[in-house]
Amino acid sequence: MIKKWLFLLVVQFFVVSKAQSSEIELSINLAKQTGEYHNPYVAVWIENDEGKSVRTLVLWREGAKWLKDIRTWWRKVGRRDSALVDAITSATRPAGDYRLNFKASDDQGKRLENGNYTLKIEVVRENGGRAIIKKKFSLNGQAQTYTLKATPETNIATFSIKE
Amino acid sequence: MSKLKLFAILVLSMATSAQAHNRWILPTHFSVSGEEQVWIMADVTASNETFNVDKPMGSDRFSIIKPNGERARPSSSFRGHRKSVVDINLVEDGTYKMFLDSDVSYWTSYEIKGKGGTQWLRNTSKANRDAKLPKGAKNVNTLASKSQVMTFVTLNAPTENYRLTKQGLELKPITHPSDIAQNEKAQLQFVFDGLPQKGVEVEIIKDGARYRNNLDALKLTSDQKGQISFTLPEAGRYLLIAEFKKSQKNNPLADEMGGQVFFTFEAVLN
Repeated sequence: MIKKWLFLLVVQFFVVSKAQSSEIELSINLAKQTGEYHNPYVAVWIENDEGKSVRTLVLWREGAKWLKDIRTWWRKVGRRDSALVDAITSATRPAGDYRLNFKASDDQGKRLENGNYTLKIEVVRENGGRAIIKKKFSLNGQAQTYTLKATPETNIATFSIKE
Repeated sequence: MSKLKLFAILVLSMATSAQAHNRWILPTHFSVSGEEQVWIMADVTASNETFNVDKPMGSDRFSIIKPNGERARPSSSFRGHRKSVVDINLVEDGTYKMFLDSDVSYWTSYEIKGKGGTQWLRNTSKANRDAKLPKGAKNVNTLASKSQVMTFVTLNAPTENYRLTKQGLELKPITHPSDIAQNEKAQLQFVFDGLPQKGVEVEIIKDGARYRNNLDALKLTSDQKGQISFTLPEAGRYLLIAEFKKSQKNNPLADEMGGQVFFTFEAVLN
């Protein structure tokens, strides 16, 4: 009996630790632009299959006045959760390559369940363009890599799940 | 419905709408973010060209219901020759309802030999029409009309600031006005004297009417629950116009009670 319990504990430990090691990597390039250039505001978030945000990964922004210009993220996520906005806020970045790593967890730090999700990336420049990238993916215990098409605001990006 | 009756209704609705322009409140922003107070402005105009202004109107009747339910007025206003403009300070988070306060107005229509078509008397109810109507007036009808010119502006998190007066035709959002978005289904409800109203005729006109050949108005009619639903393929600013008339049995002032709603909103880019 004790052996069986120990076995279960070990299995559980193994499963949990394996699940927790699941990581998200995003390699993104903010495109160089000609003419007047303001660093873009960037939001990256993950929605579940009901279109509800479960995790905001990135928020690069200026003052609060400009948050509304990250239209979709602001409407669906930011405006309802000022604590989240404060917690994840970071300064804007200039054009260039960025490689970002995250644990595959939700806004509360809880592991994301297996299932279907959509990654959304919204990039907005003052007196410039806006782009939104949407990529459906599944968390299913398998490592995977997606290529995200270029937009006028971003060059080809890759998005990976590492188990 | 007989063809003749339908024709009569069409003529009447054309006649009544010919009396008044469309009206609207167009805010500079429908949705704003900020850590402190935010200023917005709004145009108020009567015009038939969405959203190009034509005549000033109503800034003295401009009312605001703050997220906490208190009523407020704009901080300042300007009446020009083509539009009125108001300045509004948003301090607390939530949704602000903005509208033009309006009383019931009475219109009496009649026909008379020698003059073609329907004639109209302003500010004339059943109580005072006999003194004003010419001898031999036929088909006399008095319409009590109340309009609601309105919009919603949201600072940070939205709230359901939808309080109704339960008088005449009113709009009650189901989808929050700040959540009407491109390619997403939106739902609104119409109530008359506070009860869901079937058969309300609705038109939704997109901004920029001057720059296209067809008005391309989306036409809808409210269902049994007083509801309409629509999905707008394009982001942008829209004017919703709703109309409804109901005959009155025991009203000493009018034979019919009518209402109009002019609701300005934006469909957010997705």
